[in-house]
Amino acid sequence: MTALLLAALLWPLCVALYVVRQMFRPPEARRFFSLGWLSAAWPALLLAFIGEGAWEWQAWLLGGQWALDTLARAWLGFTALLWSLAALHARGYFKREAARARLGDDGESGKLLRFTLFWPLTFLGNAFLILSRDVASFYLGFALMTFAAYALVLHEQSGAAKRGAHAYIVLAVIGEALILGGLLWAAGSGEMTTLEGVREAIAAAPQGVWMALLLWLGFGVKAGVIGLHVWLPLAHPVAPAPASAVLSGAMIKAGLLGWLALLPLGVEGLAPAFSTLGEVMLVAGFAAAFGAAFYGVGQRHPKAVLAYSSISQMGMMTALVAVGLLDATLWPALLPGIALFAGHHALAKGALFLGTSVSEHMPRLPTALLWIVLALPALSLTGAFGAGVISKYSVKHVLEEGAHHHIVLLLTWAAVGTTALVSVCLWRQWQDRDTGDSDAWQLAGWALAILAALTVPWWLPLPQESVHVPALKSLKSLVWPLPAGVALVVIGVVLARALSAPTLPAGDLWWPYQKGAGWLVALCKGVAQRSKRVKRSSVARALVLERRAMARLNQALEGERWLRRHGSGLMMALAVVLALLLIWEGSQ
Amino acid sequence: MNMAWLPLAALSVSLFAAIAIFSLPETARPARTVINLAAAACKVALVVLMVWRVSQGFEDTFSFQIIGGIDFVLRADALGVMFAGLSSILWLCTTVYAIGYLEGAANRKRFFGFFSLCVTSTLGIALAGNLFTFLIFYEMLTLSTYPLVAHAGTPKALAAGRVYLRYTLSAGVVLLLGVVLLYSLTGDQSFASEQGLDRYLSDHRGLLTFIFALLVGGLAVKAAIVPLHGWLPRAMVAPAPVSALLHAVAVVKAGAFGILRIIYDLYGIELSVELGVTTWLAAMAAFTILYGSLRAMAQAELKPRLAFSTISQVSYIVLGACVVGPFGTIGALAHLLHQGLMKVTLFFCAGSYAEELGIHRIDEMNGAGRRMPLTSIAFTLSALGMVGLPPTAGFITKWYLGIGAIEARMLWVVAVLVLSSVLNALYFLPIIYRLWFCQGPAHGVGEWPSEQRLGRFETHGWLLWPAVFTTTVGLLAGLLAGLPFSPLDWATRVAVGEYLP
Repeated sequence: MTALLLAALLWPLCVALYVVRQMFRPPEARRFFSLGWLSAAWPALLLAFIGEGAWEWQAWLLGGQWALDTLARAWLGFTALLWSLAALHARGYFKREAARARLGDDGESGKLLRFTLFWPLTFLGNAFLILSRDVASFYLGFALMTFAAYALVLHEQSGAAKRGAHAYIVLAVIGEALILGGLLWAAGSGEMTTLEGVREAIAAAPQGVWMALLLWLGFGVKAGVIGLHVWLPLAHPVAPAPASAVLSGAMIKAGLLGWLALLPLGVEGLAPAFSTLGEVMLVAGFAAAFGAAFYGVGQRHPKAVLAYSSISQMGMMTALVAVGLLDATLWPALLPGIALFAGHHALAKGALFLGTSVSEHMPRLPTALLWIVLALPALSLTGAFGAGVISKYSVKHVLEEGAHHHIVLLLTWAAVGTTALVSVCLWRQWQDRDTGDSDAWQLAGWALAILAALTVPWWLPLPQESVHVPALKSLKSLVWPLPAGVALVVIGVVLARALSAPTLPAGDLWWPYQKGAGWLVALCKGVAQRSKRVKRSSVARALVLERRAMARLNQALEGERWLRRHGSGLMMALAVVLALLLIWEGSQ
Repeated sequence: MNMAWLPLAALSVSLFAAIAIFSLPETARPARTVINLAAAACKVALVVLMVWRVSQGFEDTFSFQIIGGIDFVLRADALGVMFAGLSSILWLCTTVYAIGYLEGAANRKRFFGFFSLCVTSTLGIALAGNLFTFLIFYEMLTLSTYPLVAHAGTPKALAAGRVYLRYTLSAGVVLLLGVVLLYSLTGDQSFASEQGLDRYLSDHRGLLTFIFALLVGGLAVKAAIVPLHGWLPRAMVAPAPVSALLHAVAVVKAGAFGILRIIYDLYGIELSVELGVTTWLAAMAAFTILYGSLRAMAQAELKPRLAFSTISQVSYIVLGACVVGPFGTIGALAHLLHQGLMKVTLFFCAGSYAEELGIHRIDEMNGAGRRMPLTSIAFTLSALGMVGLPPTAGFITKWYLGIGAIEARMLWVVAVLVLSSVLNALYFLPIIYRLWFCQGPAHGVGEWPSEQRLGRFETHGWLLWPAVFTTTVGLLAGLLAGLPFSPLDWATRVAVGEYLP
């Protein structure tokens, strides 16, 4: 079965090579989105469902280890499925561009080649990090995914796309740096290179909490921790819909997986500082959950609204992860719930992002039916319908058992925010709707994603005991946020119309950050200018000194030359003086 | 069994090549090419043999007495063979590249003659068995590189050569002073003195520190440690293969290698720590790393940016040597090789861009990835290696340096490494962005500064394949770092020898 594991990792690479071969063909003969390209994630999907296997290779980097444990299986399951469905969708999404490219549009052809090349590479990184059991491979997968996804975000190359990609890469570099710092520190203090070993080292080290903080923030860039989340609302609206879907569905979950793999969650007897970190994470998580909801409802672009929804949802997951630091005994029961929560969010959010392109090219279906289907993943995400009910309940149930009532309450309130966000998103989609030019592949990818999202608990290879079906009486607490959120949005829209409030710019904190960075750069430039001036003047002064010293030396040499020239005369004079002295002495 | 001829043969191959090239007329191009390549290949073979001998536990030594008490010693030990291996492989690549680069240029006889002499001296530095031999080859390196730096003969090149000589010759005097002082103290100038310098510690503590400062200060000029780095960016006027060799193996590395010899073999790690000199040196190296990166960011031209990047990267080696512990040593030694492979590639690529498209400035590089894909892939991978991203070789060294710093309880070193990664990303990622994501002349926007179609491929094959080869080796050195005889494996072997005698 190791063969399947290898195939899952090597096949995306083969697909990428296939795309490279396309580059050497004339533009008319290039084939984009062929069956081979669509299949990039299929071996990984197969692996998640039927595969087994672990593999070690000492020669690889610092010693490579890959394995498929229960958590990795669930993660790989939803990740590979989402990538596969988004690829199907992409085939339809880029139909017009591909047609133009085939007619010989060189620019379009180049852009598509780049997209199709970096797509399997990004997936490779994503799958690689899920399967890795050693730090170097994990970091490699994470870096490959992060940097390859840059090309997906930049695809359109418009001004907005460049800005979004810029924000993405700046934050990504900061994140990579934080992760590198945390990993070096933890691996160095424990002398371990496996993920498990590093986790234990963090738990045992005296300064473990600082390592954990670095890793939390480093992976938090991907997972949209508040303050580091600014790339999401800038990058998502500009990326093509399938890229947004995998970015928000699969890739930000890689940040969450990083936390689960490396933070000492559910470890008994941790230093008290870890509880403080847990509290900070809890606060940051709920701040993101509510703050993103408040800011997101004021967005104009439906995908920006969805990006804020992702920040909000990841905030909830941050809070759940924080419980692992605060209440170690509860963690084994909570972890499977988080896996389900993440899987459900991945597919529902993926379906919503794919839906934004469907509403721009609506097929010839009854309008009501189409919009009901478009709303299905949104309903599920609020926790009032389909798999959403179960995924919300599965974590709440465990938290109730652990007597964390305030967290449950906050999660329920956050669901109001989720409802508000997805309602605004659907409303904005309605405003931007357009008919015609729909494509079967595009619809198929989207519809299958919805189907998968609504039925997550029944097919995802989850760890044991992750699914808890709610009793009828607890349904009420799960469902009430839906009407509440919708009502809030309606009131808000009416109010905003009345007050003619402006929409908020996407990217909130990015703009002050940019200003701050600008000041910092200006400051550095000023310092550099000044030190340059100081250096130049000191060099000038040193040269003057040197010249003066050389002049003195030359003078001395002149003196020597004079001595040499008049040597014989001087000698004579000396001899005369000596003779006179002798005579004088003799006469004494 | 001592195969004394082996180090001598490895050294004299390129010396004879130099003599043969000087005795041939300028027009004898085919003969010169054959001699160059045959000598380079021969040298690689000899060095491979040496590597095998060292791995079998032999230490081939060649020595003869010059005058009483002063010996000329060539010794093939693990550390020396490591540097010799790097220089011989990169010499082969650079020779191939230089033949392509100087196609049709003037003064090729002079160039290749001094080029061979330069490599002879590098190998001599690698195999030098005592300070005296080291000093001879070190000075010979200075003199044999001057004609290469000033090769173009333009006023700018001559000025750069003059600055180079001023820096390196005065450094040589300082180094000589240190060697003489040490000799007057101990009466012995071998690296691996069994007694060590420990016995002078109690009486001559101040003098030992002073000698260390003189020796390392003399070497630091070639290793381009701030503030003694001024010659390096100016020497950028040299032809691309010279810059490649200067930055990857010959001059800069010779300085770094000398510092490694001083710390590991002459003083020994324990004594260096006892004297407290490693902390100072580490601080200087850290400052150099950050300063070099900051200055690199401000450069608008490609080669000067790479030059400041070298200043920054070579100090990793010095920093690793100052981080006490096996991991820091492994990181330092592995970086000696890894940085060589990556930097030589970057300079090959910069030279190819300049020759094929006339690109010198970074803002002229838009869309060059489409016009010269293989060169640009090589450049991209090496630049990512400089940033320290896996799976490149740069990641491996950064990892070991970081782990070593944690073990030595020098947390600030990790901060420097991470900060340096960010700075490297800041000045390399924009270049990569321009190469691949910007619209340029290859997309019909604007024109290349001066385009030539040098060969059947994207450029002359002799310019392309060395870069492809060094990139591949650099990538494999990271990807399969765990294989026997990989740079990491060899560095581990040397480090184990240092720490577990």
